[in-house]
Amino acid sequence: MKPGPLARHAGVRRLGAPYDRRGVTDTSRIRNFCIVAHIDHGKSTLADRLLEITHAVSERDMRAQYLDKMDLERERGITIKAQAVRLTHEVRGQVYELNLIDTPGHVDFTYEVSRSLAACEGAVLLVDAAQGIEAQTLANFHLARDAGLAIVPVLNKIDLPAAQPDEVARELAAVVGCDAADVLRVSAKTGEGVTALLERVVERVPAPGGAREDPLRALIFDSSFDPYRGVVAYVRVHDGVLPSRSRVRLMAAGIESDAEEAGVFAPEPTPVPELGPGEVGYLVTGLKDVHQVKVGDTITLSGKGAAREPLPGYREPKPMVWSGLFPAEGGDYGDLRDALDRLKLSDSALHYEPETSQALGFGFRCGFLGLLHMDIVKERLEREFGLELIATAPNVEFHVVRGSEVTVVHNPSEMPPPGTFDVVREPVVLATIITPSDYLGAVLELCQSRRGEMLDLRYLSPDRAEVHYRLPLAEIIFDFFDQLKSRTRGYASLDYEPWGYEEADLVRVDVLLHGEPVDAFSSVVHRDKAYQYGRAMVERLKELIPRQLFDVAIQAAIGSRIIARETVKAKRKDVLAKCYGGDITRKRKLLEQQKKGKARLRRVGRVDVPQEAFIAALRVDQRSGVRP
Amino acid sequence: MSAGIYVHVPFCLTRCGYCDFNAVAGMDHLRSRYVAALLREADLVSGEWTEEEFVSIFVGGGTPTTLDPGDLKTLLTRVRARFRVRGDAEVTVEANPDTVDAVSLERLLAAGFERLSLGAQSFDGHVLRALERVHPPEAVRRAVRQARAAGYRNLNLDLIYGAEGETLESWERTLLETIDLGPEHVSAYALTIEPSTPLGRKVRAGLARPPDPDLQADMFLLAGETLASAGYQHYEVSNWARPGFACVHNLGYWERRPYAGLGAGAHAFRGDRRWWNVRPPEQYLQLVEAGRAPIGGEERLDSFDAYLEELLLRLRTLRGVPASWVYPGDAEPYLEGGLLEDRDGYLVPTERGMLLLNELVLGPASGPAGPGRRDAAPGARAIPGPGWPARTGPRTPPWGLLTM
Ligand SMILES: Nc1nc2c(ncn2[C@@H]2O[C@H](COP(=O)(O)OP(=O)(O)O)[C@@H](O)[C@H]2O)c(=O)[nH]1
Ligand code: SF4
Repeated sequence: MKPGPLARHAGVRRLGAPYDRRGVTDTSRIRNFCIVAHIDHGKSTLADRLLEITHAVSERDMRAQYLDKMDLERERGITIKAQAVRLTHEVRGQVYELNLIDTPGHVDFTYEVSRSLAACEGAVLLVDAAQGIEAQTLANFHLARDAGLAIVPVLNKIDLPAAQPDEVARELAAVVGCDAADVLRVSAKTGEGVTALLERVVERVPAPGGAREDPLRALIFDSSFDPYRGVVAYVRVHDGVLPSRSRVRLMAAGIESDAEEAGVFAPEPTPVPELGPGEVGYLVTGLKDVHQVKVGDTITLSGKGAAREPLPGYREPKPMVWSGLFPAEGGDYGDLRDALDRLKLSDSALHYEPETSQALGFGFRCGFLGLLHMDIVKERLEREFGLELIATAPNVEFHVVRGSEVTVVHNPSEMPPPGTFDVVREPVVLATIITPSDYLGAVLELCQSRRGEMLDLRYLSPDRAEVHYRLPLAEIIFDFFDQLKSRTRGYASLDYEPWGYEEADLVRVDVLLHGEPVDAFSSVVHRDKAYQYGRAMVERLKELIPRQLFDVAIQAAIGSRIIARETVKAKRKDVLAKCYGGDITRKRKLLEQQKKGKARLRRVGRVDVPQEAFIAALRVDQRSGVRP
Repeated sequence: MSAGIYVHVPFCLTRCGYCDFNAVAGMDHLRSRYVAALLREADLVSGEWTEEEFVSIFVGGGTPTTLDPGDLKTLLTRVRARFRVRGDAEVTVEANPDTVDAVSLERLLAAGFERLSLGAQSFDGHVLRALERVHPPEAVRRAVRQARAAGYRNLNLDLIYGAEGETLESWERTLLETIDLGPEHVSAYALTIEPSTPLGRKVRAGLARPPDPDLQADMFLLAGETLASAGYQHYEVSNWARPGFACVHNLGYWERRPYAGLGAGAHAFRGDRRWWNVRPPEQYLQLVEAGRAPIGGEERLDSFDAYLEELLLRLRTLRGVPASWVYPGDAEPYLEGGLLEDRDGYLVPTERGMLLLNELVLGPASGPAGPGRRDAAPGARAIPGPGWPARTGPRTPPWGLLTM
């Protein structure tokens, strides 16, 4: 497992590290802010520059993109874990404490973003001067504005020849509702304008409120697990004072603990005697289970000093996307369970429960925040734990309503047959898409074909449009993003946030091999698409299932009604041809190979199905957009 | 034990698109060196074979008749001189129709090549072209007439079915024409696409269609019926013969009798060892000319390999396997399904069974313990027999006849 952020600095700083001896910081000298930006618009580069300019990191220590922690993130260029650094900077003779809070930048983590925003008073809205505003920026901008944050609009990459600062500044100004002249222009790469940006942050972002005398209320906006010190919470103190060692109470979780150390990232973790109102830092909670320390929870002191009301906005992290994970042939269920148990230590959003599939054997039904989270977990399981996995197609969670009883189903094969319930509800999201106007038609067509309902359409500029759709999440997790990219040549961007559950005419489509349903292939789809799904599935399986000694019927069915059917004709010839000049060795080897191939077969009823067929059939076809 | 000798001649007039045999075209300048090398190799290796009595000699290729009949005669004489070859041994030479004429056929027969195997392939010009064979159908008829005139009493025609564009009707005409010519023996092979051949590359590139296995299955069954009604016995998957004309040499392979191999890429087998010469003709020449055995590789068969081979090879022929070799019950589904027949305690494949031999041997699926574990192979016997070791897991028939 990867060490947590504190472990990276184990040794020197942990043993007898000096307390930060500065006096209590006057809240008027504190600024808490974050950077909101689309992927690749330069957030990490800007953070590096800020650290450098404020000398928080000596150049020698400066690892590019300091705030990104995990290798996987680095490769994917995203930030999963929010984190905060304390910068000190002098503006007009005054030293300010600037806390830069990093926000995750992906739709899977909207809730985490909102918690990070709740730790700030201001947001730098960073936009690539060559690319213009993207959906993610816009969505996070709305979150930031709704959270009451001061917005500092900034254009990045003005050094690029392709930059169109004037145009993008107009776009940005229109969105933010300011004057185009107010939009700062910087180059995170060259450092141009970055000092001015710091000044602007000090100027525009309000100082935090909060009084030392009030009962402690500190927001947990992130957490991580350190193998040596247990769960570390990233906190923002809103009211009162959080002493370094104290008995604390986590209000939503309803648990108490002896906190071991408070500190700040400067950017190395540095213990402090206390975190005062408006301050941002970390708390070594003394807890060992990451699930007890929930993002959005409020920390207060135990006993007399306890606050009555927690900070608003807490929500349980909820898995949105589910998929069955099974060890590939020869793999071990126990290994998968151990790996999941260990992953969960550092990933509190991960859910899993044992699942048994007739076709795939013993495995787990896992819940993820979204597709990216799912990919990350799968990849970590494979990379860090060396597992080979088969994953079923992802699905959303359904609410099946019978009278007053609501059953939550996150496995399509558990969806009850038609006629045995009143209604099914599925999760819907509010999607924001920004696209060049040229592709608007294609985007609308896509959303329409995915049961979308248009809520709003506006133009950011004559050639860029912003559309809002209400879409079933099931449609989004099924190849929507790839379709959007391919229909807009990669120019459109997407963001979405949960909107609730709505009734829909959903049916379970089963796939039967020789009369036996294959649970791994069951899917819940809209009735209008059931035929298309069933057809595509049987056709694909027809290509994938090797011929047997008998005819194999492949059927798609809703309940007992067959909606599509194909037949794999019985195999009639399987014999090795002539052996030449006594070369029997080759013939035997071929047969031995065939024998090995057979060892990879799984049996469904009487039918032998190669593992590859399962994998291929479960893979979403990126090109056709038709699953399978 | 009655052994065979295989002599390989790698030269061909042109290279056929489907062929992955050890054959080369345009290397005729190597011919005389090659003949000399074969003679030398016979001298070099015959010492190992003094125990064996040889009942067959088979000169194959390539196209042996690209060599001069005189050279082939010298070769045969040398082989007979170095190896203990029975006087009545079967001596076969392979030929392509356009490499023989009345004169050469007479000389070959006189030299002692009493069995002639002609690569006819098809009597359909389209099929021959699809196979990139250079001879027209007429050349086959001519060669057969000439062979009969020369006095040949043991003729084989090689046929290939399933080339692109060949229909069941066309194949039937080829079969009828073949029967008309009255050879003593017919070999009919399903065209197989070998990846390393020009045809294989075309298929991969989508420029040619691979044979349809179902059509080939129909062609196989049609060949069985048609040849049977003309008096040919289907004694091995791809071989039919008039009574008394089954190929002694080829039967040696199926019966796992020993055989020596001379020439580039030739294989040899004795006891638990199989070895083979280097494949490229030049390399073969260099080694032999340096007085070294041109061996390119060998393998020792453990009891499992031996068992697997024995099962596989025996089931190709009407010999079948003794029912006692198979766990009670394992053969039932195949007997019931009409793939096997029980003939006096021997399990013998039916026509349909021959088409699904791999299934018969391996069965359709693996079990919990996985099939054919080597460590569970029967004892140390080279030839398997009854009394198999205990099974490692439950078996659900149909499971194949291979013992785990
Ligand atoms: N030319 C130029 N490139 C920049 C600038 N800022 C960032 N980049 C480049 O843009 C890419 C994305 O930047 P990064 O900081 O990783 O973006 P993030 O995904 O928002 O964190 C990287 O290749 C950076 O080197 C800039 O001001 N000018
Ligand atoms: S003649 Fe026979 S050996 Fe020669 S290339 Fe053609 S098929 Fe191959």
